[in-house]
Amino acid sequence: MSRLALRWEGRAVEAEIELRGSHAVLTRGVRRIEAEVRRVDDWVEIRSGDRIARCGAVATPRGVWVALEGRAYLLERVPRDAAAQDGAPTTDEIRAPMTGRVVAVAARAGEAVREGDLLLTIEAMKMEFRLTAPEDGAIAEVLCAQGDRVELGQLLVKLRPGASTGGAPAGGPSA
Amino acid sequence: MSPLVTAALSDLAASRAPFRKVLVANRGEIAVRIFRTLREMAIPSVAVTSEADRGSLHARSANESVMIGPAAAAGSYLNAPRILEAARGVGADAIHPGYGFLSERAAFARECREAGIAFIGPSPESMERLGDKASARRTAIRLGIPVVPGVEGVATAESARAEAERIGYPVLLKAVGGGGGRGMRSASSAEELTAAFEGARRESETAFGDARLFLEKRIDPARHVEVQILADGNDAIALGERECSLQRRYQKIIEESPSTAVNAKTREAMERAAVALARDAKYSGAGTVEFLLGPDGSFYFLEVNARLQVEHPVTEARLGLDLVRAQIEIAAGGGLPRVPRPAGHAIEARLNAENPYSGFLPQTGKVLLLEWPAGDGVRIDAGIGQGGTVHVHYDSLLAKVIAHGRDREEARARLVAALKRVTLLGVTTNQSFLIDLLEDGAFRSGETYTGTIESREWPAPESIPDEAILAAAVALASRRAAREGEREDADRYSPWHALGGWGRSPAGARA
Repeated sequence: MSRLALRWEGRAVEAEIELRGSHAVLTRGVRRIEAEVRRVDDWVEIRSGDRIARCGAVATPRGVWVALEGRAYLLERVPRDAAAQDGAPTTDEIRAPMTGRVVAVAARAGEAVREGDLLLTIEAMKMEFRLTAPEDGAIAEVLCAQGDRVELGQLLVKLRPGASTGGAPAGGPSA
Repeated sequence: MSPLVTAALSDLAASRAPFRKVLVANRGEIAVRIFRTLREMAIPSVAVTSEADRGSLHARSANESVMIGPAAAAGSYLNAPRILEAARGVGADAIHPGYGFLSERAAFARECREAGIAFIGPSPESMERLGDKASARRTAIRLGIPVVPGVEGVATAESARAEAERIGYPVLLKAVGGGGGRGMRSASSAEELTAAFEGARRESETAFGDARLFLEKRIDPARHVEVQILADGNDAIALGERECSLQRRYQKIIEESPSTAVNAKTREAMERAAVALARDAKYSGAGTVEFLLGPDGSFYFLEVNARLQVEHPVTEARLGLDLVRAQIEIAAGGGLPRVPRPAGHAIEARLNAENPYSGFLPQTGKVLLLEWPAGDGVRIDAGIGQGGTVHVHYDSLLAKVIAHGRDREEARARLVAALKRVTLLGVTTNQSFLIDLLEDGAFRSGETYTGTIESREWPAPESIPDEAILAAAVALASRRAAREGEREDADRYSPWHALGGWGRSPAGARA
C-alpha cells in the first residue's frame, strides 16, 4: 500500500493505492475502487466494473500528465517540505504566467494598490496580457523593467497585502 | 474513388502541373495543409523554417526545407528578402503565403511579381484596395453595401473620444493594418476608451507595424458571418457563408456553415455584396468578405481578408472542394473551378495551446503524447506532431478539428466525439473548453453571438476522476521503477509517501 500525494490545479490530490500485478485498489477518502490496469507504452487501460477507460499517461520531472475523455490533467509533484510553505505568505509574489516581453510597468515600489489594479503588461504570442494586483496592498519590490524578456514563473513584483487605504473603487477590468 | 483522388490522378496523367515548385512562406497547420494539396497535385514543395522550427511537422511535410532565420518571426517568416532568396535558391516558381505573416502584404506580392515568382493570392493592387480596412470600407460605401457607422484614422485619444460622442457608445477600436483581433478594443464610456487607446495602438504597431486605428459603433448582440469567395481577376463566385461568432478577444474559436441565423434571402444579399466587392477590385484567388449580422437581421460589411482563411475547411467540407487547389489553379491562369452544391453542415474547433481556466494564457512546452481521432466526417488539420515544441514566438493554434454531418446536430455530435478522443499531453490546451462550448445549450440552440463566450463563466472541472489518478499512479510507478537508484535529490519531489511494499522509497527515505 502506498500513499500518493500530488497537486492538481493548486489543490492537493491524495490517494492510497495498492498494485498487485494488474489488480489495483484505489482509496480516496471514503471511496474505494478496484480495477484491472494494463499499461502499454504511454497508455493505461483501466477496467472497473463494466467501464473501460483508456488514458494517456506520461510522467515527467514536473509531474504526470493524464488524458481522459477529452480532458488533460497535469498532476504536479509536491516537494516534501511544501506543507510548511502552504501557510499564508507575508508577501504576494507576482510571477510571469508565460514567457514573454514586458511592454509596460505600472507598479512602483512603495505605492499602494487595490485589487485589480494594473501592475504590468506582458506581451507573448503577439497578444498583451495584463497582470493585476490579486488583492489590496503595497508594492514591496518591482523586479522587472519595460523591455525585459521574462521566463515562465519568473518573479516580477512583490506585493505586501493589506497595506492599502482609501475608498476608491477597485481598478479597471483586466484583459 | 473520391473526386479529389480522381482529379489528382488525371493531373498526373496529363502531367501538366501548374507550377514547377511551390514554396510555402508559412509554418504550422496551414503550411502542413498546403503541402498536402501540393502532394496531391504532384507539385514539388518547399518549406521555410525559423531556427526554432527545424525538424517541425511542417518542415517534414515538404519535399525540401530551407532555414531562413531566427525564431522571432520578424527575422524569419516576415523576412521577405530572405524568403524570396530561398525561393530563387531552390528554383521555386510560386509562393503560397498561407494566412498571417506576409499573406496580406501588398509589397511582398509586388516583390514576388518583380522577381518573376507567382504569388498565390490576389494582385498587390487588389490587395491594397481590399486588404486595407479603410479603403475597403470606402469601396463598400461606393457600391451601396451597408457598413457599420464609424470613422477611419483616429490619431489621438482625444479625437477618438470626440468621434465616439458623435456616433454613440459602445464603440470598437481596430487596427487599420490588421485583423485577427489584435489591436482591437471595445469601450463603453469615455474613460474606457481613454484606457484602451494606447494598448490598441501599441498592439497594432507590434503586430502589423502600423499604429493607425479605426473607430466604429459596436453592434450588440452581433453575429460574425463571412462569405467565402473565389475570383480570377474578372469573374467572382461566392461559396456560401461561415458563422464565426464564437470568439474570445476577437479570436475565432468555433466556426460553422451554414449559419443558423442566415436565411436564403440574407445569404443571397451577402453573396451579392461579396461578389460585387471582388469584381470591383479585379480580385483574384480565394478571399473572405466579413460581415456583422445585427439582431434585426441586417448585415454590415466589416472587412475583406485577402487570403486563405484559417476556417476554410468548413467550406471545403460542405462543398467537397479543395480551396488551396483552386487558389493554385487560379494563380496559374486556370480559371475558376466548377462549384458543387453545398451539402450538410460543418463545424470547426480550434485547438489552441492556452489554459482556458487561467485567463486563456498561452502555453508553451513539448508535446509528450499525441493521438488524433479518425472517423466518418472528421478531419484534423494539425501543425504539430509528437515531440514537437510549442514556442512562445508564434500564435497558439495547434490544430483544427473539423466535423461534417448531414445536419447540424450530426456534425456537432461528431465534433464532440472527435475532441473527446484527442490525446495531447505535455502542453495545456483548450480541448475541454471546446467540448464544454459545443455541449452548451447556447451552441446547441444556435444562439451564438460574438459576446457569448466572454459574457459567461466557463468553470474548470471541480474534481479529478478516479481513473485519472489510477493512470497517474501506474505511470509514476513505471517511471519510478526505471529510475530506482537515481540520485537522492529526486526523491524530495517523489509523490510516493511510502508505506512499504511496491511503493517503497529508495534507501535514505525521509518519510
